[in-house]
Amino acid sequence: MSPQIDSLIRAAQRGDQDAFEQLVRAHDQSVLRLAMNLLRSPEDARDVYQEAFLRVYRNLHSFRFDCSFHTWLYRIVTNICLDQLRKRQVRKEESAVVETPGGPVDRMDVFEEEAAHANPERTVWNRELQRRIENALHDLTPRERMVFELRHYQGLRLRNIGEMLGTTEEAAKNCLFRATRKMRAVLGDCV
Amino acid sequence: MTCDSVTRLIPLYFYGELMPEEEDRLAEHLHACAGCTREMERQRALAAALDRRQAEVPPMLIESCRADLWAAIQGGAPHFFQPAKGPWALFLEALAATLAGFHRYRTPVAAVALVAVGFFAARFSAGVPASSLSPAGEVFSTVRSVEPDSSGRVQIAFDETRRRVVSGPTGDRDIQRLLLAAAREDNPAVRVESVDLLKSRADSGEVRDALLNAVAHDSNAGVRLKALDGLKPLAADPQIRKTLAQVLLADDNPAVRMQVVDLLVSHRDDSMVGVLQNLVQKEDNNYVRLKCEKALKDMNASIGTF
Repeated sequence: MSPQIDSLIRAAQRGDQDAFEQLVRAHDQSVLRLAMNLLRSPEDARDVYQEAFLRVYRNLHSFRFDCSFHTWLYRIVTNICLDQLRKRQVRKEESAVVETPGGPVDRMDVFEEEAAHANPERTVWNRELQRRIENALHDLTPRERMVFELRHYQGLRLRNIGEMLGTTEEAAKNCLFRATRKMRAVLGDCV
Repeated sequence: MTCDSVTRLIPLYFYGELMPEEEDRLAEHLHACAGCTREMERQRALAAALDRRQAEVPPMLIESCRADLWAAIQGGAPHFFQPAKGPWALFLEALAATLAGFHRYRTPVAAVALVAVGFFAARFSAGVPASSLSPAGEVFSTVRSVEPDSSGRVQIAFDETRRRVVSGPTGDRDIQRLLLAAAREDNPAVRVESVDLLKSRADSGEVRDALLNAVAHDSNAGVRLKALDGLKPLAADPQIRKTLAQVLLADDNPAVRMQVVDLLVSHRDDSMVGVLQNLVQKEDNNYVRLKCEKALKDMNASIGTF
């Protein structure tokens, strides 16, 4: 843990609001990015952000420096995200439409628009690939999805991921392997 | 190394999660095996395809999340550096505060304290359950009066509130009744939690009224934000829109105003043009003003009033 973060935590534990604010600002962009990437909805990402940092605010006094603050924070964030993913799995309603400040946007359309300048065949191909990727991600369990997200998009080591999710590095490796295998099976000839 | 074991290790190899010696052996195998090299290529192609899926965080979202968070914290989220005090500690603090400044009564007060100890001890020995008098017990006491008399005795009047714990599903009528009562409690943390639980039950008239009341009158921005969340599914209801329009022009918290704008513009309603134009004129928060301007633009309405 960096000495600067360490001293911010100690100051925040003593009740220094400015230190708490700096602590949040040092970490909140990656938290929001993780939530957005997993949940694909600014509204849900905002809920995750709010709940996670309020939990940090309420429980910071119990942080004992026996792991890094980043790991501790991500334990909270991943738990909240996993709950959201599990709820969605029950509702089976994750949509291909992403809410943006400019209104709802279909992910496929965005992709198509990007690719349209290239050539029509490629557009069709990319569209099919994206559709399959969404299906493939849908087929992952919330835990597989989380491990994959943390490793692929957040670039975290599997050992840290295991620590965050309250499991072992070996279990995280197995999750990553299963996630990759499932995605490749669904994507078939596309990759 | 067999092709089977290499296939299993390819994702770990790709992400740099193998031990150096394993990595060397796998690289050696790939060099000699066309099938596994193709597998490795497929892994790279999968990763490249997934890279393009990374979601963009809308630029205003982080600021709006921060505004919501500060509003919830400043509005009364329970603070981390003050561990929750037990009822006994609160009772002693209240007693100390009541007696503070009464230096000239130091001797009589000491006598009162001693008699009070005796009083409690007598109750304890007279068969009152220990839990009701133990400092860790679930009894809250408020001393209403302390009246010493000339014989050295004292009469203390106090109210006792006994804590009860009930549990049940949030849909249970009794639980819901308690949650509705809790939404009016003094403690903002209790109100935040209660409104959060009630917000999924906005189809009930009572809950809807409680949410509207919280949005319009709760002093805590965190509670108001939760209540707004609960009103989302009802954002088309004219009565709710009327209250929201009033809140939009009166609420002093930008995070609340931002969420109200979101709710109001989630349903096409030309009668909101005037409200939004009004807000644009007086709004001092850039994000809220930009949001309003965008909403007006989407409604093909002018930004200013003429």
